[in-house]
Amino acid sequence: MKVVIVRSNLKEGLGIISGASGENLNLPILKHSLFDVSDNRIKLTTTNLEIAASFLIPGKIIEQGNATIPLGIFQNLINNLQSERLNIEKNKNSIEIKTDNYQALIQGLAPEDFPIIPKISDENKNEFIEIDSGVFKEALSQVVVGTQFSDLRPELNSVFFNFSLENIKLVATDSFRLAEKTIPSSQFKTNHKNTFKLLVPLKTNQELLRILKEGEVLKIYHDLNQILFKTENLEFISRLVDSNFPDYTAVIPKKFDSEIVVNREELVSALKLAGIFGSRFSEIKIRVPEAKKTVEVWSVDETVGENHYFLTAKVQGKAKEANFNWRHLLDGLKAIRGGEVFLGLNSEDNKPALLKTPSDVFYLYILMPILKT
Amino acid sequence: MELEQLWQSILGEMEVQISRANFATWLKNSRLIDKKDGTFYIGLPNNFAKEWIENKYQKNLLGIIRNFDSSAKNLKFVVVSSNPKTATKKDLAQDLMSFENRISLDFKIDPETNLNPRYTLDSFIVGPSNELAYAGASSIVKELGLKYNPFFVYSGVGLGKTHLIQAIGNAVGAQYPGKFRPRYVSSEKFTSDIVWGIRNKRMEDIKKKYRDVDVLIIDDIQFIGGKEKTEEEFFHTFNALYEGNKQIIISSDRPPQAIPTLEERLRSRFGGGLIVDIGYPEYEVRVAIIKSKLQGLNRDLNQVVIELIANRIKKNIRELEGVLNKILFYQERKGVDITEKIAQEIIEKSAQNLSRRVSDAQIIKAVSEFYNISTENILGRSRKKQVVEPRQIVAFLLRDILEMSYPYIGEKLGRDHTTAIHAYDKINQEINKNSSLNQKIILIRDMIYKD
Repeated sequence: MKVVIVRSNLKEGLGIISGASGENLNLPILKHSLFDVSDNRIKLTTTNLEIAASFLIPGKIIEQGNATIPLGIFQNLINNLQSERLNIEKNKNSIEIKTDNYQALIQGLAPEDFPIIPKISDENKNEFIEIDSGVFKEALSQVVVGTQFSDLRPELNSVFFNFSLENIKLVATDSFRLAEKTIPSSQFKTNHKNTFKLLVPLKTNQELLRILKEGEVLKIYHDLNQILFKTENLEFISRLVDSNFPDYTAVIPKKFDSEIVVNREELVSALKLAGIFGSRFSEIKIRVPEAKKTVEVWSVDETVGENHYFLTAKVQGKAKEANFNWRHLLDGLKAIRGGEVFLGLNSEDNKPALLKTPSDVFYLYILMPILKT
Repeated sequence: MELEQLWQSILGEMEVQISRANFATWLKNSRLIDKKDGTFYIGLPNNFAKEWIENKYQKNLLGIIRNFDSSAKNLKFVVVSSNPKTATKKDLAQDLMSFENRISLDFKIDPETNLNPRYTLDSFIVGPSNELAYAGASSIVKELGLKYNPFFVYSGVGLGKTHLIQAIGNAVGAQYPGKFRPRYVSSEKFTSDIVWGIRNKRMEDIKKKYRDVDVLIIDDIQFIGGKEKTEEEFFHTFNALYEGNKQIIISSDRPPQAIPTLEERLRSRFGGGLIVDIGYPEYEVRVAIIKSKLQGLNRDLNQVVIELIANRIKKNIRELEGVLNKILFYQERKGVDITEKIAQEIIEKSAQNLSRRVSDAQIIKAVSEFYNISTENILGRSRKKQVVEPRQIVAFLLRDILEMSYPYIGEKLGRDHTTAIHAYDKINQEINKNSSLNQKIILIRDMIYKD
């Protein structure tokens, strides 16, 4: 194997696939990346046996072949090199990197020992969804705020993909809040004839958010156990979570006892300010007075002090006071687009509040209030 | 068990042949799922392991398997994911987060099968009143689709129909994981699916959804009576499944003959399998239910209180559980021991439900309408057989619903109190033995409460 690659291209490629490499004491080769030069393309691959990422990088091919290279060391080296043109050549199991004034030899492992990257099964490999990567990335970023890693509820560490012919719904929840994004069929193309539901691990989604670029054509394939995201240069395959997502539609509130519409930016700064005084539990209060044009955001901490922030708002319905975790509220606010935001509250404490852009039907964020102690 | 042992010895040999690291990564979490006609089905935790073993170890593995079982011809690899859920951890989380308010998401019900795992055959308490139904259910699980098909269960409300039929589904799921797909659906859901299918011109989807199962469980079938298109679709679904030897399980609040609007062809089909009824639970069964419920909740109650509840609530297990919950809640909130007196009060309060709105005249009217005998005849002197039974039922219902005194009932019927006592006792015993009489009384009760 012998190639010449421009450093910035290699750096970009390594950055993209690095997220899929893994720590595995049993299998040291997982810390390596596979350098595969065949069919006139240079492909870099890493895997941690849960996900696998492959990326094609441009370069001049002098001789085909493959090799593995320890990713961490390679990345460090590439980041610190000054020269732009790199000659990379395999020498037995070692890799030689040469520039005009620099030379390095890195120990690799036998490429045959690198895990074989699974493929989508034959019966499913022709069915896909085609979507603009920017649209998908935006949708995903709005949804992943609804959950966080938790060892305690592993079934929630995932994003729910619910495909019907009319739309794709993405949903995530950690049971304190829930975010749902609808991508209408006008924004994607597909040749699927049937509906399906998938649970994609949260880690996969976060990795996708990191590596997907905007303005590319993204194709999504899946079979029983895995999902593949494919752009021109990237192939990203992940296992699916074999579990059930709860029927969440019942918990989305339809009616509210009080409804407010406020400027989003203002509410964000009100929350950040209130957060300074937020107690240990990040608790803040939102008070909606009856028939007035202001909403009060206040927080109190015995050891720090308290603050009140008054926002102009359109208020409808009954007077109401509710406590929230301000971080959770802020997560939702940041995911919402547009200058104004709608907040619907209910007087029963076991019913969630709803956050959305007033006229937007494609995104919603619901949040449980903190019980008054 | 046999497969497990065989696989362990195969792995033992494999471990020697490949490096420890490779063994730990690829083969450690594998298992032998099944072997059939020389094909060994091997379950692996992910697709990476599948690819690797298929490409690298297939030959070695087959060689070793042949040493143990010479019939082995080829290997098939399947990905089976393990579910790392642990209940104790979850409970811990609940404690940690108890000050937080959560969205109540129901993880319990599996959206594919629609079954609630709470209902199992083990937790079904068996007594003389439901012995037959239970035995039928157990034998169905053993010989799916072949023995009693369809299996038709009927009983009054709150006696365990839903529990039993869902338990069959759960037992099938547990016994043959991945092999047979059960689906539980209420007849109301079935109807609304059909309506959806017609409206959106997607009938094919609905057809596929229901014909693509191995065990179809339909609850409260009586509600599809009179909805022609639904009945027709159900009829075809029924035939398709029946011909494919798929198990069909149906529940209803009354036997097929007594569902008035049901089409004849469906009625006759229901009769083709096994029809069983669940009667009212005996006293001992009621006590056992309360005790097992208490055990499940890890709580304790005085024996006297248990007996009291079992004595007072006879006709509905759901109500029994409701009262029990109320008592337990009271105990928890007030932190006092529940005495017989407190229990008595709680039961009284929860039992004052419907009975207040019913008058004696309504009861008599309902009975006379049901049997098509005039009120005068019921209250008259005739001792013809067709009048005696309604009259006794009137006496029974007056006592049972309105808790009237025997002398008063006697007076109402123009007889003395011993006749009333006799009538009440007779019917009370008879309803446990004679299910058609029981059925009549349920229908009469329906009529009374409907007004």
